[in-house]
Amino acid sequence: MSLSQSASGSGHANAPEAIRVTGLCKTYANGLARSQKKQVLSNLNFQVNRGQSFGIIGPNGAGKTTLVKLLLTVVRPTAGTVRIFGENPEYSHVRARIGYLPERLALPPAATPAEFLKGVCRLKQMKNPDADVERQLARVGMSSDSGKRIKIFSKGMKQRVGLAAALLGTPDLLVLDEPTDGLDPIGRAEFRNIVLEEKQRGATVVLNSHLLSEAERICEAVAILVRGVILRKGLVRDLCTSKTRWRARFAPLSAPVAMSEIGFNETDEPGVYSYETDDPAVLNQSLDAVRNAGALLIELGPELKSLEEVLTEAVGP
Amino acid sequence: MIVTWVIAEDILREALRRRWFLVLGIAITLCLMVLLGTLRFDAVENTLATSRHALDSAGGDVHAVGQIFNPLFRAAAYLIFYGGILFGIISCAEFAPTLLSPGRIEHLLSLPVKRWQLIMGTFIGVWTIASCASLYAAGGLTLILGIKTGVWTLRPIIAGLLSTVAWAAVYATMLIAATWVRSAALSAGIGGIVFIGGIIASNRESILGLFAPGLGKVVFSFLSMLFPRLSTLGAACARIASSQPVNAGALASTIGGFACFTAVAVALAIVSLERQDF
Repeated sequence: MSLSQSASGSGHANAPEAIRVTGLCKTYANGLARSQKKQVLSNLNFQVNRGQSFGIIGPNGAGKTTLVKLLLTVVRPTAGTVRIFGENPEYSHVRARIGYLPERLALPPAATPAEFLKGVCRLKQMKNPDADVERQLARVGMSSDSGKRIKIFSKGMKQRVGLAAALLGTPDLLVLDEPTDGLDPIGRAEFRNIVLEEKQRGATVVLNSHLLSEAERICEAVAILVRGVILRKGLVRDLCTSKTRWRARFAPLSAPVAMSEIGFNETDEPGVYSYETDDPAVLNQSLDAVRNAGALLIELGPELKSLEEVLTEAVGP
Repeated sequence: MIVTWVIAEDILREALRRRWFLVLGIAITLCLMVLLGTLRFDAVENTLATSRHALDSAGGDVHAVGQIFNPLFRAAAYLIFYGGILFGIISCAEFAPTLLSPGRIEHLLSLPVKRWQLIMGTFIGVWTIASCASLYAAGGLTLILGIKTGVWTLRPIIAGLLSTVAWAAVYATMLIAATWVRSAALSAGIGGIVFIGGIIASNRESILGLFAPGLGKVVFSFLSMLFPRLSTLGAACARIASSQPVNAGALASTIGGFACFTAVAVALAIVSLERQDF
């Protein structure tokens, strides 16, 4: 299932894609003679629609950062293609539309945030960048520190400056690699709001984060990358919805009903039971049985898993 | 091309924030002030006046009287040439490795910057720093002597600018090193090797005569051929600065050699960067 197909239900139908990755492979050559080969990514295929927020999740060493760098041509593919807004990201005019926050951004220590951001504006060839620099510094809460040297900043403050740099020039695509690393909980909430504002503006967001709760809150779609292979991809809603486990809420029982004998297992929540089957007929038969025994069904739906559970299932034991 | 200039401009901005270059500026200014305060201009003026009078009577070239400063100009040319290159090797070694450092290069490459622009911008920026420093030192000296004695000559400035040709060759090799290993120490080390190798290569013919025929001679002959003839250009700068005759053909050939060496080195640095993943 491609993400464009799966996203059609979320308001992005017929939207041209922001990212298309086809047959992407990356092998690093190591050693003195570069004879030792290590395949990091293997035959990746996916696309991200315009305006969609897309998460790349997976365990450490899965190749997530390499994938992000491949999107930006910081790393060149061994095979396959990457297209951003239908074009090769090697083109400068394509990269001018991208805002990127690297995992470990090294900022010039002797510069001030304003100086650094103006430098980024110059490289993006933005006209009259001062207003945008001030605006983005204000958005990330760094206005009062804009004249201080970066060398005295904490990791979180540097991260904020990096985020401001990524936001310069109202990019159409925001690529954020572990963006909340070093931010305190308030900072994370602020960051989330900024990203959601950008999404509302129409920007496409690619998020690589090991914080699954963050990906869950921000992303509409995710790809689960494990050992260089995409094991699952799709809308978060679809991935987190169980196909075999059901959640049924019953009204307080007036007389005892042998729910567990029929297959309904009690959960931690009072009156809520879970039932496991992939056959709707079996589910209905069991529901009929408990209702005939006197139970009153109030609510029924598929059980929702967290992204953590989805990832754990995908990675396997 | 605009991006290349922006990167060069950023290198200049970064240089202004570094203490090394503040120290360089202060050192050059101090040297000029010391010269201004310690040179015996009164004695020089008397000599000049006498020479001028004698030359006027004999209908000679008035400019020739300026030759009294030739030893000073020669010393200054050597100082700018060798001192400038050595200072540059130490102070500029960090620029490229810093730009290529993890976390910085990823960000730069995600911007509308091409890899060759990054190398060219760094090269032009560092070359501009060297040119400014040379111009300040040589121009300052010319200005002081010009104002004080009325002898005006562009020769020290030309010599100062020529010394940046040699610096460009040395720095281009430092750029290659930086693209291989992102280390300021290695970059400076390679610069030092080219500096010493360039001096040896300039005396290649005389040193070759000392070798007995055999493998050693062949190896030395080959290795010394790879380096630009640094001292040859240094000596030419000194001769120009001190108004001594220079073989124009030989100088043009030396400069051409330096230009070729620099172009190849910069091209190799670009190729090396193009082939890398970060």
